[in-house]
Amino acid sequence: MGIGHVLGVLGGALLAHAAYATVQYHAVLKITEEEFSRPPMDVMMQLLLGLALCMWAGLAVPAKFLSVLPHSEENRIVSLPANLDFMIFNHRGRALPSDDDLKLKT
Amino acid sequence: MAAAAATGGGISAEVPILHSENLTSNVKSIYYSRTFLSIISGVVAGIWGFTGLTGFVFYFLVMMVASLGLLVKAKFSINTYFDSWNRILIEGVFGGLMSFVLFWTFAYDIVHIF
Repeated sequence: MGIGHVLGVLGGALLAHAAYATVQYHAVLKITEEEFSRPPMDVMMQLLLGLALCMWAGLAVPAKFLSVLPHSEENRIVSLPANLDFMIFNHRGRALPSDDDLKLKT
Repeated sequence: MAAAAATGGGISAEVPILHSENLTSNVKSIYYSRTFLSIISGVVAGIWGFTGLTGFVFYFLVMMVASLGLLVKAKFSINTYFDSWNRILIEGVFGGLMSFVLFWTFAYDIVHIF
C-alpha cells in the first residue's frame, strides 16, 4: 500500500468526520432555532483538506501512464516472433556422445 | 507481445501506428481517476450543502482541476501517452456527472435531512 492509498484513506476519514460534525451542527441549530446557511468554518476547512487529499490520491493511485509511441525506448520489441524458418526439429545433436558428467568450460 | 493498432485516417493520410495495449491502459487509468473524483466531489457538495446550480458549478470546477492534474501526470506531453487531447480534457466528464449527482443527493440527505 503506497503513500497514495494512505492519503486517500486519510482524506476519506476527514470527509467522514466533517459529515459527522455537520450533523451535530444541525442538532445545535435545531436547538437555537436558526437557519442553516453553511457549515462552520473549521468544517469547511476539513472538507477542502479532505478534497485535496482525495484528489491527490485519485490522480496518483491509478496506473502510471505508459508510452504509446511505437519507437520509444520502453516499447522495443526484443523477442523474435515464432518463425518456423528458425526452428530446427531434427539435428545431429543426438549422434554426439552424451556424457552426464560433462561440465561447461568456463 | 505488443499489438500495433492503426487509429484511422484517409487513404492518402498517414496512418499513425500506436501501442494499443498501453493506450487502453492509460484511458482506463483516466476513467478510474475521474470516477473516484466524481464520487468524492459529490460527497463534498452534499456535506457542504450546495443546492441547485452551485453544485454543478462545483462539479465542473473539480473536473477542471482534475484535468490539470492529469496534464501534470502526463508531463504535459500528450502525444507520448494519448492519441488526442479529447482523452484527458473531455472524456469521462459527463459520465462522472451521473455519479456526482447520485452521491451529492445521498450525502445531502444523510447530513442535512436525517
